[in-house]
Amino acid sequence: MDQSTIRNFSIIAHIDHGKSTLADRLLQATGTISERDMQEQVLDDMELEREKGVTIKASAVLMHYQARDGITYQLNLIDTPGHVDFTYEVSRALIACEGAILVVDATQGIEAQTLANLYLALEHDLEIVPVVNKIDLPSARPAEVAQEIEDLVGIDAADMLPVSAKEGTGVEALLEAIVARVPPPSGDPRAPLRALIFDSHYDAYKGVVAYVRVVDGALDTGKAIRLLATERQVEPLELGFFRPQMVPGERLLTGQVGYIATGFKTIRNVQVGDTLTLAEAVGVSPLPGYQPIKPMVFAGLYPTEGEDYTLLKDALEKLQLNDASLIYEPETSQALGFGFRAGFLGLFHMEIIQERLEREYGLEILATAPSVAYQVTTRDNRVVTIDSPAQLPDEATIESISEPWMRISIFTPATYIGPVMEMTTKRRAEFGQMEYLDEQRVRLEYLMPLSEMIVDFYDQLKSTTRGYASLDYHFDGYRQGDLVKLDVLVNNQPVDALSIIVHRDQAYYRGQRLVTRLKEAIPRQLFTVPIQAAVGKRVISRANVKALRKDVLAKCYGGDVTRKRKLLEKQKKGKRRMKMVGSVEVPQEAFMTVLKLGED
Amino acid sequence: MALYLHIPFCQARCSYCDFNTYVGLDHLYQPYVSALIQEGRLLAQQYSQPVGSLFLGGGTPTVLPIELLRQVLTTCFEIFVVEDSAEITSEANPGTVSLDYLQALRGLGVNRLSLGAQSFDEGELAMLERIHDVQHVGLTFERARAAGFDNLNLDLIYGLPGQTLTSWVHTLECALGLAPEHVSLYCLTLEEGTPMRDRVLAGRLPAPDPDLAADMYESAAECLASKGYRQYEISNWSLPGYECAHNLTYWRNRPYLGLGAGAHSWGVGLRWWNVRPVMAYIHRLMGARQTPWPSPAAEDGERISRLLEMGETLMLGLRLVYEGVAEADFHQRFGVSLEETYGDVIHELTGAGLLAWDQTRLCLSERGRLLGNQVFAKFLPS
Repeated sequence: MDQSTIRNFSIIAHIDHGKSTLADRLLQATGTISERDMQEQVLDDMELEREKGVTIKASAVLMHYQARDGITYQLNLIDTPGHVDFTYEVSRALIACEGAILVVDATQGIEAQTLANLYLALEHDLEIVPVVNKIDLPSARPAEVAQEIEDLVGIDAADMLPVSAKEGTGVEALLEAIVARVPPPSGDPRAPLRALIFDSHYDAYKGVVAYVRVVDGALDTGKAIRLLATERQVEPLELGFFRPQMVPGERLLTGQVGYIATGFKTIRNVQVGDTLTLAEAVGVSPLPGYQPIKPMVFAGLYPTEGEDYTLLKDALEKLQLNDASLIYEPETSQALGFGFRAGFLGLFHMEIIQERLEREYGLEILATAPSVAYQVTTRDNRVVTIDSPAQLPDEATIESISEPWMRISIFTPATYIGPVMEMTTKRRAEFGQMEYLDEQRVRLEYLMPLSEMIVDFYDQLKSTTRGYASLDYHFDGYRQGDLVKLDVLVNNQPVDALSIIVHRDQAYYRGQRLVTRLKEAIPRQLFTVPIQAAVGKRVISRANVKALRKDVLAKCYGGDVTRKRKLLEKQKKGKRRMKMVGSVEVPQEAFMTVLKLGED
Repeated sequence: MALYLHIPFCQARCSYCDFNTYVGLDHLYQPYVSALIQEGRLLAQQYSQPVGSLFLGGGTPTVLPIELLRQVLTTCFEIFVVEDSAEITSEANPGTVSLDYLQALRGLGVNRLSLGAQSFDEGELAMLERIHDVQHVGLTFERARAAGFDNLNLDLIYGLPGQTLTSWVHTLECALGLAPEHVSLYCLTLEEGTPMRDRVLAGRLPAPDPDLAADMYESAAECLASKGYRQYEISNWSLPGYECAHNLTYWRNRPYLGLGAGAHSWGVGLRWWNVRPVMAYIHRLMGARQTPWPSPAAEDGERISRLLEMGETLMLGLRLVYEGVAEADFHQRFGVSLEETYGDVIHELTGAGLLAWDQTRLCLSERGRLLGNQVFAKFLPS
């Protein structure tokens, strides 16, 4: 096997721009998978992915392609997660490649995340093979889109390959372009083994399976391996290639992409970006760019039925088997009982986990308002990181609070500049710059606190721009802010699960909104229930839920006792689903009201 | 045992009504009555306990020609053991019954008449889509007196869309001006599928204010008490000795047999109910010679466990505001005490001021009368 016949590449594309269909076509054209076995979109194998149209987990596949020059090439397609929370994972998948196919929809033009990923690819010197897809559509404007890409990133419009993945046109030309333009891997076969882990999954029989790209050296079966960052050592059960299912092999050579079944029981041992080497090797330097997992968004997850706690625990354990970026620990809330504090890479990650818990595990869960990690400097100069308002130290001991800020980039039709400007300003964003992509579309750049983004920002952006805007964001840095904890008291008792940390300027407005919403959400009780929002000891908003005066069925008609009883049973069942805050029955929806404060 | 006979016919349907009643089925009066009699004959063989009360409800029983009611009642007297002292009630609509009709009804043994007056405000009657107007109420009431009825009830509704405290007090005063022996005050429930509920949901009628309804209830209770009426049940007041025996049977959770379309029956661990449509009911009884248990007309039913029966006994019994549920009665019936069965719940509810012990009777407190559901639900098994 000649290293010069290996081509490693990935596909950069926006959701719906046809990445999965194109991948399917490549698999078919190379005979990797027969027409008959062709399940639509082989690479996205989770139900949720298919529904959301995004790739959550990366995957890889080895294809053999006999090019026009008569040589059979090994093509490794490394799929990248298609959304913004997984930028780090994307960057690791990209550096496992020498090239990337840039897929742009001929009817839509380039989008924010695509551009961000393209920049990542360029940063790592990947050869870009640009493709204008969906040329079969009547509304396709391939020439304009090609020009837009040339203007934006300097790729010659003439190099752009016209493709219709749907109809299969241009796929052959694309394969030839990959062979011709993407350079072969340049690693040193005689150097000690260094393999980059760019993904992993958990297999009940094989333990954690590491997806690797061999950078230098080679790995034979039976050799013990070592992971540099986690300092773990193990004798792998198996190694092999993705065809696309796992097929065992004897050796992984320099430049090749394959898998190593480690036998590890926990995915934490196999971190994306880590370097894998031989156990016996000494003085091997790690591949650059490794970062430990760093969750950005945190929320409490509670079962709506208290008795489901163990089921939730099991479900989180199972999800974590395949998702090293999900972290959680037990948390107890006075209002919500036993649950977990979970950390996520971002808001989409959080949303996906919540959906999977509900859909795949059939759990009803209550998620508290998401929080970011704040850095609190105390008067005695200690810095504590907190990820929940409940952990905030006493006000008197706080010197300052810092919060994470993000660099965000929004692509939108120019007609929506005004509304986008308005909504970002309301969320404390600082305007950076504006750039016209073409006559109709602009890119807006802002710095914005992450805390302002985690409640409803993306949905609002989408509705403000009728679904046209796309968003990309990256961590910028921590900045000190005038932040305060907004407490909510129900019947004079603070409700931990409703506390939020807000900027002082917004405390009054948010407090008022929170109180109004809660007043609507909390049903009348047997006594008057005061609801207050307070910053420290100062109450900034207050409303009363008036006492219930009348709740009695008027008539028992003609002895229909069953119906009457059923009504009462229904009422009783409704009550059981409520959470007790002191002696006040609070419906689960009330805890969601904080999540909706970002609206209007 | 109490005997209920359902007459599922009306001249017109009222906008708030979700009872099992039908308009325009005049041609089914005779077949229905025959079926009703047939059901009675079949069930009387098994339910031979003495009948302490008989209630003709509906619908509007008095839409039937008097001859048909005669068939129904004479058959009942023939096949059931109706006690001499039995309370025999018929419901009637103001403005639809003549003096002759009422006299005939009295002559058939009916000794109590319940008139659906509902309101003494023309606008409210129109909104309710009643077929009578205010003056009919007094007229029919006086006719009933003339026909020899000395036990009369008036039904009134409060908590109506747009109703004011003033109009309610006016209605109540007009009603009491007629000096009935009994009044039932029902708070309007917007029932699923009724035109009135649809109108409220569509915003074409103002939504009733539950707090105002509570004010109406309290002012009515005060007014009735001052006129010598005793509130014996959450929605019912009477002069002493005129409590409705039939309804007391329901609230004491004692057995009753219901005949007719959609009628409910209860006794010995079983509650069942008949099919609701008139034609379905008639078909079930046509040619029925023997009783598929529990009735040829039964649509469905439920077994009531002892625990559920205890809960229902409290759910119903506590509606009787003075009588409540007596410890001794409960113990005699179930062999356990209230205290040992519901100690915690009772403690919680007395603590919340919704329940109180009147010596050995457990009763709703004054405040609890308006919050009955909060109390009843606690006694039902989870």
